[in-house]
Amino acid sequence: MMFTTRLLEALGRVWIGLLLSFLYLPICIMALMSFNASPFYQLPFEWTTGWYADLSRNGRLLAATWNSLQIAVFTTAIATVLGTAASIALFRYEFRGKRLLQALLFPPIAIPWLITGTAMLIFFFGVGIGRGLHAILLGHVALALPYVIVVVSARLQTFAPELEEAARSLGASQWQVTTRVTLPWIMPGVIAGGLFAFAVSFDQFVVSYFLSTPGEATLPVEIYAAIRKGFTPEINAVSTIIIGISMGLMLVTARFFKFGGEK
Amino acid sequence: MAEVVVDKVSRSFGSHKALDEMSIAFPDKGFYGLLGPSGSGKTTLLRMIAGFDFPDAGRIAIGGEGVERVPVEKRRIGMVFQNYALFPNMSVAENVAFGLSVRGETRGAIEVEVKRALDLVQLGHLGERRPHQLSGGQRQRVALARAIVTKPRVLLLDEPLSALDKALRVDMQIELKRIQREIGITTIFVTHDQEEALTMSDRIGILRDGRLVQEGPPEEIYDRPESEFAATFLGDANILRGVATGNGIRLPDGTVVVANQGTKPAVGTSASCAVRPERISIGEADNATLGEENRLKGRVSKRIFGGNSSTYFVEHRGDIIKVHVQNNGGTSLAEGQDVILRWSPESAVLIGM
Amino acid sequence: MATSIRGRGGIGPALPLLTPAYLWLVVAIFLPLSAMALFSFMTELPMSGRDWSLTLEHYAAFFSSGLYVTLLWASIRLGLEVTLWCAIIGFPAAYVLARVLKGRAREAIFLLVILPFWSNGLVRIFSWAMVLREGGLLDTTLNAILPFRIDIDLMYSYPAVIIGLVHSYVPYMVLTCYLTLQAIDNALIEAARSLGASRLQTLRRVVLPLAMPGLLAGSVLIFVPVVGSFMEPRILGGRTGTFYGTVIEDQFVAVFNWPLGAALSFILLAVVLVILSLSAPILRRVQ
Repeated sequence: MMFTTRLLEALGRVWIGLLLSFLYLPICIMALMSFNASPFYQLPFEWTTGWYADLSRNGRLLAATWNSLQIAVFTTAIATVLGTAASIALFRYEFRGKRLLQALLFPPIAIPWLITGTAMLIFFFGVGIGRGLHAILLGHVALALPYVIVVVSARLQTFAPELEEAARSLGASQWQVTTRVTLPWIMPGVIAGGLFAFAVSFDQFVVSYFLSTPGEATLPVEIYAAIRKGFTPEINAVSTIIIGISMGLMLVTARFFKFGGEK
Repeated sequence: MAEVVVDKVSRSFGSHKALDEMSIAFPDKGFYGLLGPSGSGKTTLLRMIAGFDFPDAGRIAIGGEGVERVPVEKRRIGMVFQNYALFPNMSVAENVAFGLSVRGETRGAIEVEVKRALDLVQLGHLGERRPHQLSGGQRQRVALARAIVTKPRVLLLDEPLSALDKALRVDMQIELKRIQREIGITTIFVTHDQEEALTMSDRIGILRDGRLVQEGPPEEIYDRPESEFAATFLGDANILRGVATGNGIRLPDGTVVVANQGTKPAVGTSASCAVRPERISIGEADNATLGEENRLKGRVSKRIFGGNSSTYFVEHRGDIIKVHVQNNGGTSLAEGQDVILRWSPESAVLIGM
Repeated sequence: MATSIRGRGGIGPALPLLTPAYLWLVVAIFLPLSAMALFSFMTELPMSGRDWSLTLEHYAAFFSSGLYVTLLWASIRLGLEVTLWCAIIGFPAAYVLARVLKGRAREAIFLLVILPFWSNGLVRIFSWAMVLREGGLLDTTLNAILPFRIDIDLMYSYPAVIIGLVHSYVPYMVLTCYLTLQAIDNALIEAARSLGASRLQTLRRVVLPLAMPGLLAGSVLIFVPVVGSFMEPRILGGRTGTFYGTVIEDQFVAVFNWPLGAALSFILLAVVLVILSLSAPILRRVQ
C-alpha cells in the first residue's frame, strides 16, 4: 500500500518533469542556438555572440523593438489608469446594468484575436483612423483593459468598504478617500495589473499584425515577417531577448499577485 | 449646542420601509441608545444621521442646522464602526491624524491634537504601531480617538463593542461612558444588546419595523413599558392577558390582577399586564391565601440554576410564568411541586391593546 | 443590508470613472465587431470609392464553395485534437500539483508551468522549428542514440502544428484543473477510500466529477483560440498548414477581399459565441 502510493507519487513527479521539459526545452534550445556560430544550427556547438552583434546593426528590428517598447509603456499607463478608475467605480457603486458592464469585459479576452484584429482593421480603416502605431496603441489598450480591471477588482474584493465610509465620516472628500485610503490598499493589484498590461501589449502579435504598416510595425510583427522569409540566428537572438524580458516581467508580477487563488 | 433632531424621516428600500415617519430628538451632550431587533431600522437611522444615506422624506438637523442633503464629509460627525475600520496602511497616530490632515491642519497642530486624543484613550505610547499589531480593545480605543479628535458635533457608535469578548466589553462600556462625559459630546449608540443599552444610555429609544415604539430614560422604559413588545424586548417580562377592570385586569380563570403602573385601558376591553420575573415571589402552595389579588397557583415545571439566581418556570393553566429568585440560602423548590406566585400592584404594568 | 445601502440607485456618480474605460472598449472592440458584421453584407468597402450594395454573396460563397466549410471543419478538428492532448497532458500534471506537491515546491512549479503562457507565443512557436526540422534537435538526438538511420522531419506537418499548439495552450488546462482540484476537500477522497473504493474508482467517481468544471473551462479556453489560430499553422505547418484562420488572414493581407474576410470572421465569431454562451455557466462556476 505504502509502496504503491510512493510509486504513484514518483510517477507524478516524473510527469511534471516531462511537462516542464516539454515547455522549456524548445525555448532553451533556441536560446542556446542564438550563441551558436553555425547559421544552420549545426553541431558541434561553437560559442559566439555574433548574432547579437548583427542584431544591434539591424535597423528594422531595432526600430520595431523601440516601437514595441513605446507602445507597451503607453498601453500600460493608459490601461492602468482607466482600468483602475473603472474597477473602483464597479466596486464602489451599485447601479442597474452593473452586471452587464462586468460581462462586457469578457469578450475582449475570450474572442480570438484574429477576429478582434480583423474587426479593428475594418473599422479603423472605415472611420479614417487607419493603420499604424496609433491604431496599434488603440487596440492594445482595449485588449489590456479587461485584464487590469479583473486584477484590480480581485484586489478590491479584499478591501473593506467601511474604510471608505470611515474616511468620509472624518471629513475626507471623494478624492482624498480615493488617494489616501483606497489606492494605497489596492496598489499591489494596480502594479500587477500594469505588468499584465505591459505583457499583453509587448507580446501581442495578432492584433498588431493586422494594424501595422510596413513602416510602422512592432517587434513580433517584424519577427513574423522575418520567419516567413526564412529562419536566421538573428531571429533566435531577438526572440531570446523577448522571452527573457517577458518571463522576467511575469516573475515580478507573481510577487504582487497570486495566480493560484490559493490562500 | 448640538442637539440632533430627526423629524418624520422615511426611507424605503424597494417595498421595504426601513424608516416610517421616524421622529426622535437626541438631547445635547446626552448618551442615547437605539435599541431594536435586526431590521428595525436602527442602523439605517444611524447611517442617515451620519450622511451615508439620505431620507426619502423628513428632516434631520444637527445643532439646529438642517443636514438632510449635506454629504457625510461635510457634516462634522464622528463615527465608530462595528469592526473599527482602521486604515491598515497607516500607523495608529496616522489613523487618528487622518481627519485633521484632510482638513488641512498644520503639522504641529495635528501632532498636539493626536497626542491629546491618544492620551484620552490611554494609548499615548502606541502611536507608531500598526492596527494589526493591536488587541481588539486597543483597536476600539484607536477608533474612538480617531472619531473624536476632529471635535465632531455628534459621536455615532455602530455596535462598537460587539466584536469584543464579554470581560473586555464591560471595561470598555465604563471607559466609553467616562470619555463621553469628559468631552461632553452628543452620542448616539446603536446596539442590539439590551444590557449594554441599559447600562450606558441616558435615554433609550426602542425601534421596531422602522418606527419608534417607546423612548425615555432606561429605568422608565424598564419599569413602565407601554407595549408588550417594549416589555419583552427590553428585559424579561411575563405577559398576562385578560379583560380590563379599571385598575387591573381579570384573567380568564377569574383571578384579578391589580396594577398601579401604566395607563388604564377602558373597562371591558382586552388588556394585558406585564410583570418582571424578579418582582414575583414564589412559595409553597397554601390554600388559605388563594383567591386574593395578584396571586396565582401553579406547578414548577422546570428550574434552571444560574449561579447567583435561579429561574423557575411555573405552569399556570397552560401558560409558563418565569420567576427569578436570588439564591440566598433558602430552600429551593422541586420540579413538579405546587406553588403560589405573588407580586405587588406596584410591580404590575397595565398595557392596553 | 449594509451593502444594499451603499450607493443609491443611479449610475450617475460612477460615470466619470467608468466612461473612459468603457468608451475605449466600445471604440476599439464593440464598434469594430459591429462594423465587421455590417461589412460582411457589402459588395465593396464603402471607403474604396466604388459603388457598393448589400449582399449575401459572401455567406453564399461560404456555404456553396465547400472549401470554407471543409476548412472550418479542419480547424474545429484541430481544436478538438489540441484540446484532447492538453487534457491528457495537463490534467495529471494539475493533479500532481494540487494533491501531491506541497508548500514552496508546489508554488514554484505552478509558477513555472504558467510562466511560458505569459511569454511571446510567436517566439515559442518559432522555437519549435529548431527542434522539429530536419537536422534539428530531435533528428540529431535520435540518430545519435539509435543504431540505424532514420530521417525525422516533422517540420511543416500536421503533427508539428499540433505539438506547437499543445505547447502554447497546455498551461491553460493545468491552471483551470489545478484551481478546481485544489478546492476538493481531502476528506472527500479519504471518505471514498474508507468506503472501500480503489484509487481508480475514487478518481473516476469522486475526483473527476468534482474537477469537471475545471476540465471544461480549460477546454473552452483552449478550443476557442485554436479554432481561430493562423500564425501557428503558418510557421509549423507550411503548405499543410492551411486552416480556416489562415484563409481569413489571406483575405486581409494577401487577397484583399475584406468583405469576404469579414463574413468568414463573423461566421467564426458566431461559432465562438455559441460555444462561449453554452459554456458560460461552467466558466462562471470556476471563477
